[in-house]
Amino acid sequence: METKTPAIELKHVTKTYKLGGETLNALDNVSLVAQAGEFIAITGPSGSGKSTLANIIGGLDKPTSGDVIVDGQDLSHVRDRALSDYRNHHIGFVFQSFNLQGSNTALENVIMPLVFAKMRGKQRKARALECLQAVGLGDRVNHKPSQLSGGQRQRVAIARALAVKPSIIIADEPTGNLDSARGAEIMKLLQDLNHQGITLLIITHDQTIARLAHRMVSIHDGKLVEHRG
Amino acid sequence: MRFIDYIVTALRNIWRQKLRSLLTIFAVVIGATSVTIMLALVTGAKTFFRSQVEANGMLQQVAVSQKSDIKDFNDASHSGGNCDSCTKLTDAIITKIKTVPHVVEVARQMRVGAFEAVSFSGKKYTLEQVYATDANGVIHNNILAGHDLQPSDKEGVAVFTSDYADKFGFKGNYNGLIGKQISLQSRSFYSGVGAVVKQPVPCNGPCDNKLQQPPTVLTATIVGIMDTSTTSTAVRVPVDWAIGMNQERHYEFTKADQIAQEAACKNARGACNSTQHMSLITTNFVDTNGYDQLVVKADNAKNAKQVAADIKKFNVGAADAESMINSQLAIFNVVGLVLGGIGGIALAVAAIGVVNTMVMAILERTREIGVMRAVGARRSTVSRLFTFEASLLGFWGGVFGVGVGYGLTRIANVFINKQLASQSVQAHDIITLPIWLILTVIAVTTMIGMLAGLYPAHRAAKLDPVEALHYE
Repeated sequence: METKTPAIELKHVTKTYKLGGETLNALDNVSLVAQAGEFIAITGPSGSGKSTLANIIGGLDKPTSGDVIVDGQDLSHVRDRALSDYRNHHIGFVFQSFNLQGSNTALENVIMPLVFAKMRGKQRKARALECLQAVGLGDRVNHKPSQLSGGQRQRVAIARALAVKPSIIIADEPTGNLDSARGAEIMKLLQDLNHQGITLLIITHDQTIARLAHRMVSIHDGKLVEHRG
Repeated sequence: MRFIDYIVTALRNIWRQKLRSLLTIFAVVIGATSVTIMLALVTGAKTFFRSQVEANGMLQQVAVSQKSDIKDFNDASHSGGNCDSCTKLTDAIITKIKTVPHVVEVARQMRVGAFEAVSFSGKKYTLEQVYATDANGVIHNNILAGHDLQPSDKEGVAVFTSDYADKFGFKGNYNGLIGKQISLQSRSFYSGVGAVVKQPVPCNGPCDNKLQQPPTVLTATIVGIMDTSTTSTAVRVPVDWAIGMNQERHYEFTKADQIAQEAACKNARGACNSTQHMSLITTNFVDTNGYDQLVVKADNAKNAKQVAADIKKFNVGAADAESMINSQLAIFNVVGLVLGGIGGIALAVAAIGVVNTMVMAILERTREIGVMRAVGARRSTVSRLFTFEASLLGFWGGVFGVGVGYGLTRIANVFINKQLASQSVQAHDIITLPIWLILTVIAVTTMIGMLAGLYPAHRAAKLDPVEALHYE
């Protein structure tokens, strides 16, 4: 019988912050396993620790204790250089507020992670065009974010996340700034990517979106209180 | 991130904030322009000075002095007088010096202090200095018209500096002065060549028989005009003539005269009241005091130092021109440091501007830094990117500063050229902007930009990506 290596494995992860004299547990002994190609929705009230969990999985943050193993790589004790390379090669981030660079065109925004991946000019342009076409923006490559609608901006952000062919996409409230029709389109796009084998982690308040996931994980006060398929 | 991507990204980021970047670059331009002009001035002055010295053949020369303890080349001249450590510069010493290895020729040099005025076309002008040097190729004068003194010239000819020619009304037409006669007017005590020395009235017993001589006028033909910039205001005459001018002649009732008179009286009948016969006594200043200075020409500038060392063994002072030139150049270096320091202050202020611009950029681009970090930029990448931006601000400031400096030096050269031409100095474009200076200024401003960018870059790299992504 074939034993599959989990895409994401969190073992007893704790993350504490010190605010003034108080210690705040953002994550409290959280353990989680996600298989490759899985679509997991992380829900919970504001301040519950779901973004902290996503940041730790995405390599933007480090746990205070516990182990984070992604694609067989232990992220708990690596230095900035390795963690940055991990984000560049394995993770695609999609943010609620798109986080596009306003002075750059859609194409230039998508090229950005490829620049950090040291890809050469022609190759990275070709790859960025490919990604923009994949999200249906092949005719908007030279438009600046201000010339695009909200939905189109989020598509550019998804194209940017796709550029380095990540194994995991972490989307933090990807439809939060969109109307329901545009939100549905974005979710359809993300689901398509998931169907292509990309592990998808979505942080959301929206139960409709959460229900689209294979699995829903709920966090309250830093604890993984619900865990159902 | 590849090197070229750092450059392109940094340039784009600078272009994004055009006005702020331009103002920051402008501040660097001011500093770079100041430094460029000031260093160009000093460099040009040094090059000009050295070229003038080389043109005069000074680097091959060794100045020999009666004083054994001369400090440098310019300290060599000494005109007799009390001096414990002095050795007379005689023809015998010259013969010895000519045996020193690498010595090509020796020129005697002496001043004539007995003349006070020069007359030309009925007008009288103050005479600053009359001096003589051998015309044997040791000392080169920049001749603007006519020719320098020739070895065959013995007396009655002179070379004037161009400022005299200007005073005589021949500015711009020095050739018109060649062949003209001028009169050198002596002081009243003069009794040298050309002077009519009067015999004093005979007297019995001690009396002053050195009568005050009336001023003597010597006539000379102007054969050449020298560039004033290579020598101070002066009239140059042949050495043989100068030796005659430096003679002291007077009548004296000598022992021989006394014997002759006593003999005459012995043979005389009656009282002996015959007129006293007095002899004309001639004293050569050179014989009693030696030459003021000798200038020795070595076969090569590289051998001048050794020649000086060898000549010192004759118990005379000797110095090559190199040490004098170096000390003169050291003055230029000090001036350069002071002027460069003033430009440096402007650059320091510009550096603060760069820091300010970069700190502002970080505040504005915090979220962008967060995104960069999220998509894979390392801390070092962010740090380098901001350092590149700051360096480019310095680089462009340096490039434009050197450009402006170049333009200003060209303009300054136009004015200086006119000034030099009016003084008959054969030199132009003395403010130079050598390639090393251009590259150094650009390198320094780039370096200043880079250093100024280090702190902001460090701040940018230290930003927590999660906090940066949520920065409003």
